[in-house]
Amino acid sequence: MTAAVPQPTPFLSVDRVSKAFPGDEDRPPIEVIDDVSMDLAAGEFAVYLGPSGCGKTTLMRIVGGLETASSGAVYLEGTRVTGPDRKKGMVFQAYSSFPWLTVIENIRFGTRYRRDIGPREKEEVARHYLDLVGLADFAGYYVNRISGGMRQRVAIARTLAAGPDVLLMDEPFGALDAQTREFLQVQLLEISRLEKKTVIFVTHDVEEAVFLADRILMFSARPATVIEDIRVAEHIPGERALESKESEAFFHLRNHVRDLMRAQTRREEEIDIRGRSGA
Amino acid sequence: MTLGSLLSYRGASTSRTDVVLAIVAFVGFVLVWDLMSRFNIVDPRFLPLPWKVVEALYRMFTEQNFLDDVWISVARVWGAFLLSVVIAVPMGVWMSNYRIVGALSEPIIDFIRYLPVPALVPLLIIWFGIGEGSKIAVLWMGTFFQLVLLIADDAKRVPREFVEIGYTLGARPRQITRDIVIRAMAPSTVDNLRITLGWCWTYLIIAEIVASRSGIGHYIWSMRRFVKTPEVMAGILTVGVIGLVTDQAIRLAHRRLFRYL
Repeated sequence: MTAAVPQPTPFLSVDRVSKAFPGDEDRPPIEVIDDVSMDLAAGEFAVYLGPSGCGKTTLMRIVGGLETASSGAVYLEGTRVTGPDRKKGMVFQAYSSFPWLTVIENIRFGTRYRRDIGPREKEEVARHYLDLVGLADFAGYYVNRISGGMRQRVAIARTLAAGPDVLLMDEPFGALDAQTREFLQVQLLEISRLEKKTVIFVTHDVEEAVFLADRILMFSARPATVIEDIRVAEHIPGERALESKESEAFFHLRNHVRDLMRAQTRREEEIDIRGRSGA
Repeated sequence: MTLGSLLSYRGASTSRTDVVLAIVAFVGFVLVWDLMSRFNIVDPRFLPLPWKVVEALYRMFTEQNFLDDVWISVARVWGAFLLSVVIAVPMGVWMSNYRIVGALSEPIIDFIRYLPVPALVPLLIIWFGIGEGSKIAVLWMGTFFQLVLLIADDAKRVPREFVEIGYTLGARPRQITRDIVIRAMAPSTVDNLRITLGWCWTYLIIAEIVASRSGIGHYIWSMRRFVKTPEVMAGILTVGVIGLVTDQAIRLAHRRLFRYL
C-alpha cells in the first residue's frame, strides 16, 4: 500500500451543494440544486449551460456568495465562501452599470473599495481596463448614451478593475443582437486569455457555450445536477477563434450539446407546468 | 409641425408648439373670464374683471404690506417642508434597507397617512397653541407621512443588481447606501419632493385660515369677510404663481442635476 498522493487544493471547489427555496402558502418549496460538486482550475473558463430556470444562475450566485447553499459549501483557494466580496466579481445582464456615472467613472468605481492599491494605481488600473475593452473614445459618455454591447463591456471592465479572482457572468450577452453578441464573445475570449481569469459564465445558448468554454457543465432540469462535464479542448483542438465555428469538430460538439439541451428543456417545461398546476 | 399630427392619436409635438398652445389656452381662459364678467353673465361682485384683480394685487403690495404675508407663508412652507425632508429621507431609506424598520413603522405610518389633516388641526392647536408651532405641525403632518413612504418606495425600487454590484466590489452596507442607493434613487426622489412641496401649500392655507394673524391664507380669509372678491382672487393667484415658479425651478434643477437621464 502506498500513501495517498496529497491532492493540491483546487482553485475553486463546489462541494456537494444543494439549494431549496422554502415555500409559503401559495407555493410549495422548490428544490433547485441537488448535490452538485465540481472543481475548477485557475484560469479555467467554465460555462454553466442548462434550460432556463434550472438553477444554474442560483449555483453561480452561491459561488459569488450572494446566495447561501442549503447544504454543502464553496471553497475559493481553500477558503470557504461565506458572502460576497471583491474576490468574486459579477457581471449581470441588466442594470450592469450605473447610469449616473460615465464610462470611465463606472470603471473607476470598480477600484473604489480596494485597499491593496493607492489612488495613483487605481487610476492606472481603470485606464488599463478602459483600453482593454476598447472604450477609450467613449470614456466621458454616460452609459445611457452608449449601446447595450458597450454597456456590457463597461461592466466587464469595472468588474476586472476590482481585481477579482473569479469572474461570474450571468447571461451577460443575453439581451444583445446576434452580431454584437458574437463580437463580445470574441472580445471576452481575448480578455480572459490576457487576464488569465477564472470565469463562470451562465448561458442557455448552446453555440455561445461551445465557443467560449474550456469546460461546459451541462445541467439537468430542476433540481439541477451536472449531467455532463465536457472538456471542450478534447473535442475541438487548437486556439479558439471565430473560424472555429465553421469546423467539423465544433459542429459535432454543438450538435451533441444541443441534443442534451433539448432533452433537458423539455423536462424543465414539464416540471414547470406541473409546478404551476399545483401537482 | 402640422395640425394633423397634433390631432392624430398619440401624435408627435414639439416643445415650441406646446408653448404656443399653452399661451393660447391661458389667453383664452382670461378672455372667457373677462367676457363673463363684462356682460354680466356672472355678477361682477362675484367674478370681477381680470383687470380689477391685477389692480387689487398692486394695491396689496404697495399699500397693505402683502409682501410680509407672502414671506411668512413661504417661510412656513419651506420650514415645515425641510423639517419633513430631513427626517423622511433617512428614515425612508432605512425602512427599505432593514426589514425590521419597515415592518415596524409602515403600519403606523399608513394609518396616520389616512387621517385627514384638517381633522387634526384642533388637536394640533391644543398641543402647540396658535403660534408658529401649530402651523408647522399641520404642514409637517400633511407631508411627512406621505413623503416617508414615497422615499421608502424609491429606495426599494433601486435594482437589486446595483446593490449586488456594490457587494461584489467590496463595498459595505453603509457605502452601498451612500454611493449607490442614494444616487440611484435621487431622480425619482427629487420628483417626489417637488410634488410634496405642492401639498404643503394646500395645508398652509388651511392652517392660516383656522389659526393665524398673518400669511396669505389669513389675508384671503379676512378679505372674504368684506366680500372683496378681487383681493381674494389676487391672494389665490399669488399662491398659484409661487407654486408654478417653484415647480419650474425644481424641474430645471432636476434636468441640471440628472443630465444622464
